[in-house]
Amino acid sequence: MEMRTASVISVGLHAAVLLWAVVSFTGKTFETTPPESLPVDLVSDKDFSELTKGVKEAPKLEVPKPLVEKIAEPKPADTPAPKVVEKAEVKPTAPKTADPTPAPKPDPIADKIKKADEPKQEAKNDQPLPPKKPEKKQPKFDADKIAALLDKRDPTRNAATGDTLSNAPSMGLSTGNASKLTQSEIDALRARLYALWSPPVGAQDADGIQIAIRIRFRRDGTLEIGPQVLTSGSSPLFIAMRDTAVRAVLIGQPYTMLRPDHYDDWKEIDFVFDTKQMFQDIPVRIPTR
Amino acid sequence: MTDNNFMFNRRRLLVGAGAGAVAALAPHPAGAALRVEINQGNVQPMPIALPDFLAGAPSETDIARNVTGVISNNLQRSGLFAPINPQAFTEKITNSDAVPRFPDWQVINAQALVTGRITRQGDGRLKAEFRLWDVFAGEQRDGKQYFTSPDNWRRIAHIISDQIYQVLTGEKGYFDSRVVFIDESGPKDRRVKRLAIMDQDGAGVRYLTRGDDLVLTPRFNPSTQEITYMSYGQGDPRVYLLNIETGQREIVGNFPGMTFAPRFSPDGQRVILSLQQGSNANLFVMDLRSKATTRLTDTPAIDTGPCYSPDGKSICFESDRGGTQQIYVMSATGGPAQRISFGEGHHSTPVWSPRGDYIAFTGQARGGFSIGILKPDGSGERVLTEGFHNEGPTFAPNGRVLMFFRDPGQGPSLFTIDITGRNELKVPTPSLASDPAWSPLLS
Repeated sequence: MEMRTASVISVGLHAAVLLWAVVSFTGKTFETTPPESLPVDLVSDKDFSELTKGVKEAPKLEVPKPLVEKIAEPKPADTPAPKVVEKAEVKPTAPKTADPTPAPKPDPIADKIKKADEPKQEAKNDQPLPPKKPEKKQPKFDADKIAALLDKRDPTRNAATGDTLSNAPSMGLSTGNASKLTQSEIDALRARLYALWSPPVGAQDADGIQIAIRIRFRRDGTLEIGPQVLTSGSSPLFIAMRDTAVRAVLIGQPYTMLRPDHYDDWKEIDFVFDTKQMFQDIPVRIPTR
Repeated sequence: MTDNNFMFNRRRLLVGAGAGAVAALAPHPAGAALRVEINQGNVQPMPIALPDFLAGAPSETDIARNVTGVISNNLQRSGLFAPINPQAFTEKITNSDAVPRFPDWQVINAQALVTGRITRQGDGRLKAEFRLWDVFAGEQRDGKQYFTSPDNWRRIAHIISDQIYQVLTGEKGYFDSRVVFIDESGPKDRRVKRLAIMDQDGAGVRYLTRGDDLVLTPRFNPSTQEITYMSYGQGDPRVYLLNIETGQREIVGNFPGMTFAPRFSPDGQRVILSLQQGSNANLFVMDLRSKATTRLTDTPAIDTGPCYSPDGKSICFESDRGGTQQIYVMSATGGPAQRISFGEGHHSTPVWSPRGDYIAFTGQARGGFSIGILKPDGSGERVLTEGFHNEGPTFAPNGRVLMFFRDPGQGPSLFTIDITGRNELKVPTPSLASDPAWSPLLS
């Protein structure tokens, strides 16, 4: 009897857990609006390193100092006030060591003696001077540092460019941007051919006909040689579709949306014409009476 | 051992797969082309230039111009071509064999150019030749010549139209075909109905009956110049066979009672029809050679409008066995039938496309009649045109265009529409017209 109650409870609890799992884990159906497809180029490690390592012959980039490669680490704020005091102390030592000597000016004889000694003194002064000079510069009015002196906040804020990564054109930086054909140029090129390509209507029934055409461009966006059809077929539909694709490419020139500065990227393009997704929603015409 | 072997094979497989993956991911060889997919287009009528064909002698000038006109009209009516106004032409073709100056045609955006010549031969026949040029590729796409008697120039024009259509669209044309229909004249209460035949573009109408008897539902034999139709003569309505060329007429079968809705099998050897039995109708097939008849359905319902699939293996028909008129499909030898129409309202007059991909029908819903298509498995139902009254679709030989008749109230006339629902056009007929049936290609 006990066994039975236990098993009933056990079964009940299991069922409850299962039910809860079913209810809570199902959730909403996973709705995805199919995103517009983006062309993706597979980049191998080799490509990537070639892209980022730069060119050996390229001039070495002088990284401008204000631009940083990474955000500065917060340093303990060195309180400016004591520094000023300290430097103020240092400062008087240097000139004032000289001052005390001329202090007994009233004595003309001593003056004369001193004048004779002066070269010696100067020679002697040479040694203490070097430490003086750097110390002198810091404490005196440095327009740039006034703000820093007044500002008691964390010094990281001082690195105004600390979160601006270097965007200077450079070769050989890990974040360097190689010159590349932009997505918008490819989109413009594609839009041009979408508008010009009028595939045969029968292509909707022809699953799997693809027309690949290789084009070599001139720098001005015109075709250097005639379109080279890479796919082959002998059906009338293939030939008709091939001709429409070739015609679209020919009519579309010059392709001025391709900028000459990345000519190397687009001097040769393989176009793949495909109607698979084209005829999915032929509008159903319901005329008004 | 076997395990080891298996492991080994498995590993080898994995290595193979890995190598494949590496190969797939490997960078393009240096300097490889960028790949851009074009998966959208803009289907538009193709601009085509059709300068008048040259005439071998001044006497052929009219024929040459007429041939060009028929070709231009055919291509334009197909909805897939846009013939360019000849006034825009800058190059005057003086030699139909010479390579045209393509830049002159590119300027007016002609994508295709047709040049041709009509010359009378020594034996009185006409020689018609044409060349089809791809203007932007700068190449000849096609070139053919035909010989015919001078009064047959219209067919030559249709054949050339089909050739151009096929080269440029990749599909067979439908211009060299005819349509049989019911010509209707006279007042509504005493309408004279004559069986008539014409070219698909409405030209060359010829009457096959005198109008003494009421004629209905003419259908072409797919393989010969023969039609079958239903006629009310003195007695019961009967299904007849008529040879267009000889005018010879005969009754199909020796059925007890009224027979109607006949149609040929794809091989032209059999006729399938409906036989009325009391308040029911069932389907029968008759072999035209042996005259043997076979019953295909036996239901307490009205089974009618049978039509074979192009391979001859299946039959679609309409039946009210489920309560309302709907379309069913069954084997050509009979047996169980599958209902395929589940759209709104009633579905009737099914007709199978010569391509096999669609069945067209007359739909009836919300007080209107529509023409629609659906796939033989019942999916993809689409209404192509809708209105007060549309009925009786028939497919063009290439399955790309439908002809049907429409009666807005004043009487019926014929229309064509693309199976995409575009390009609805009226077909010119001498008077009112109904019940069209499209022939197969003549050649």
